[in-house]
Amino acid sequence: MTIMQPTNPQDSRSSIIVYFKNPLLVAFILIVLLLIAGETLSPGFASMEQILRLLIVAALLGIVAAGQNLVILGGREGIDLSVGGVVSLSAVLAGNVMDGNNANIIAAILVCLAAGGLVGLINGVGVTIFGIPPLVMTLGMLGVLQGLLVVIRQGIPSGLAAPALANFVSKPFLLNLPGILWLWIAVGLLMAFLLMRTSLGYKIYAIGSNENAAYMAGVPVKRVRVMLFALSSMFAALAGICILGYAGTSFANVGDSYMLSSIIAVVLGGTPLSGGKGGYTGTMAGAFLLILMQSILTTLSIGESGRQVVFGITLLFLLLFYGRSKALRG
Amino acid sequence: MSRLKLQQICKYYDATTALASGDLLLESGEIHVLIGANGSGKSTLCKVVAGSVRPDGGLFELNGKPVTLFGPKAARDMGICLFYQELSLANSLSVAQNINLYHLPTHAGGLVDEAELARRAEHYIDKFRKVVGENFSADTPVTKLRPDQKQLVEIMKTLASEAEILIFDEPTSALDRSQVDCFFSILRELKEEGRSIIFISHRMDEIFDIADRITVIRDGTTVSSRPINETDQATIIRDMIGEQHETAAQISVSPHDQMANAEICLKAEALGGTQLRNVGFSLARGEILGLGGLHGQGQSTLLRTLFGAKRLTTGTLELNGRLVHPASPRAAIKLGFSYVSGDRVRDGVITGRSIMENVSPIHFLKDRKFLAFPSVLSRVIEPALASLNTKYTSLGASISSLSGGNQQKVVIARWLTNPPDILLLDDPTKGIDLSAKSELFALVRKLADEGMAIILYSSEDSELLAHSDRILVFNNGSVSRELVGEDKTRFNLYQAAYSGAK
Repeated sequence: MTIMQPTNPQDSRSSIIVYFKNPLLVAFILIVLLLIAGETLSPGFASMEQILRLLIVAALLGIVAAGQNLVILGGREGIDLSVGGVVSLSAVLAGNVMDGNNANIIAAILVCLAAGGLVGLINGVGVTIFGIPPLVMTLGMLGVLQGLLVVIRQGIPSGLAAPALANFVSKPFLLNLPGILWLWIAVGLLMAFLLMRTSLGYKIYAIGSNENAAYMAGVPVKRVRVMLFALSSMFAALAGICILGYAGTSFANVGDSYMLSSIIAVVLGGTPLSGGKGGYTGTMAGAFLLILMQSILTTLSIGESGRQVVFGITLLFLLLFYGRSKALRG
Repeated sequence: MSRLKLQQICKYYDATTALASGDLLLESGEIHVLIGANGSGKSTLCKVVAGSVRPDGGLFELNGKPVTLFGPKAARDMGICLFYQELSLANSLSVAQNINLYHLPTHAGGLVDEAELARRAEHYIDKFRKVVGENFSADTPVTKLRPDQKQLVEIMKTLASEAEILIFDEPTSALDRSQVDCFFSILRELKEEGRSIIFISHRMDEIFDIADRITVIRDGTTVSSRPINETDQATIIRDMIGEQHETAAQISVSPHDQMANAEICLKAEALGGTQLRNVGFSLARGEILGLGGLHGQGQSTLLRTLFGAKRLTTGTLELNGRLVHPASPRAAIKLGFSYVSGDRVRDGVITGRSIMENVSPIHFLKDRKFLAFPSVLSRVIEPALASLNTKYTSLGASISSLSGGNQQKVVIARWLTNPPDILLLDDPTKGIDLSAKSELFALVRKLADEGMAIILYSSEDSELLAHSDRILVFNNGSVSRELVGEDKTRFNLYQAAYSGAK
């Protein structure tokens, strides 16, 4: 796991690591290795069709991880554990508003983004104004959302995706690629632009690296942080709509797995949990890498619980390296 | 035979010399004052005596026998106890527990003897009963105490060590007059009992009130030691400055006369807040106003308050004839203020990010920019860096790859993209090399000549004397003296700083 080697100047002394300092490069190498391994285990694993299928699943995760990435970049233990709840909420809301009718798609999108934005706003206000640690605030929010969904829906599948949405997600849309992949590419371009070509992006990195210095340089620290939580929930809401399109109908717990996997995708992609460095390109690679791992585990007939164990261990392993980089900096 | 004899004690931290040749002769039944400018080495000498700093050389004799101390505990076992300037209390424990911290009374089994603990605590609290103030008892947790009460507890804790040699490093900084009087009467009792006391204070009146003997340290070397009745304030201050410095203080050419008809841009009246008392001044365009005095007398607080990073509770601030009240740095920046901190790790550098990202925030704020294209930004950033002679490889390089002096230049360049009206410099040259320092001051003078108003605080008195047109000397949160023109000498600066409000 050389992926987590932080791009710290202090680390550049260790010789082999120098070449693996770029997490993006490492992620791509691992992706290729995993594809080869998958193909060896079960021929057809690395076929174009199968890769496309994996990319669709990765896109769903990648969109959630975009928001997670922003919150983590903002530093001060920034993390959003409520994304899974927002994904579920959005999927259920979208399904019920659409009710299988194309004419309702726009309304559904607006409702979901508004609901997501509201959840994120509450998260952000709790963290910045009331000083609740992000971990506690968003975990509490997750509990509230899950409880709410169970109370409303009693665990029964509900709502129906509009046919146009379902087609957008899984059928070829443009140049033989499904719409969801184009959406993911658009999210990727948007994130890259936001982070690298706008003053907001500069401010996000600034508060993540040295919040006090950013404050003394006139950055509206609280306002930016609230915005990050709001964006995170809106990305999760967007992913929720797509997941409805992917699954056709929605369950109250459809988004549960995204909490852990979105964090792993971000960390795999080279953004340390301490924030202030990294970016979304790595996270995109991280999301695909994670989905590949998941698929290989499925090929090896390891069930859902087994996969969760592997993911949990992966995250702990990554954090072990993250902890080390922090100690070095101190 | 002296109780304690130190000769040519030295201590080095890498290349810096904290103590070059510290001498001290301490007798029984003596109150011995140590005095010296900031960073002269008196605290280091005390820590050597108390065993918390190990000397790199020199003679250390206790009651005529050479000894080596292995830590503060060993020193206490030999009857030496130090009052720590920065306080060393356990905040969640009670007053009584803190007083007994050095010697917890225990039963045979090792359990704490609560009754004895309470009895001993009461004994020491009784000595200060009249002056401790409200909400103070043996059971009060230390965290709930006021700063002066905490300081009293630290004093009681030091007294409770029952040590033969007691060292007090600025024990009275937070105390009021009656508390100091009470403390001094206790010190005199201890002296009568034959104990020896080393006392560090910057307050001249206190020193002449309590001392038997006064030793002056300058640049890590003991320069004089005299009985108190054979010396006076002026002699002590001359010892602290050293003869060679006497003429070194530069006097700029009648600076204030030029200022008399200059345009006043900032006027402060009766500013108050935590650590600030009734501060008033006016600042003209093109002027460099220096803030002097001992460390932490409110100079930095004033700058941070003007910049909106600390709350202003009372007083008025007039900027170009308009009343203002900057509530945050962001608001202050929009009004035309700028602030450069000497603690660049805490307040300045955006760690691990590129030079470009470090220079751009003020430009974004003042020009209301949303887009950040490097090609456009560099046209703004490069001239700002160039005006400071900043050395860097590329704008994309991490700021952490630069030297301290160059990092500080990058932080200053941030303000030069959109020049402010008022530049607040809070000990800006701390920890940067000499050439960077002189470049920085040359730039500051140039900015002033171009019409910027500048307030400079420096912990180095020579910098302050050389580069400011006028100096306000701070004492305990308020301005005790203004030094202008011919009065702006090192001697006057020290006298104002050490002898308090006149």
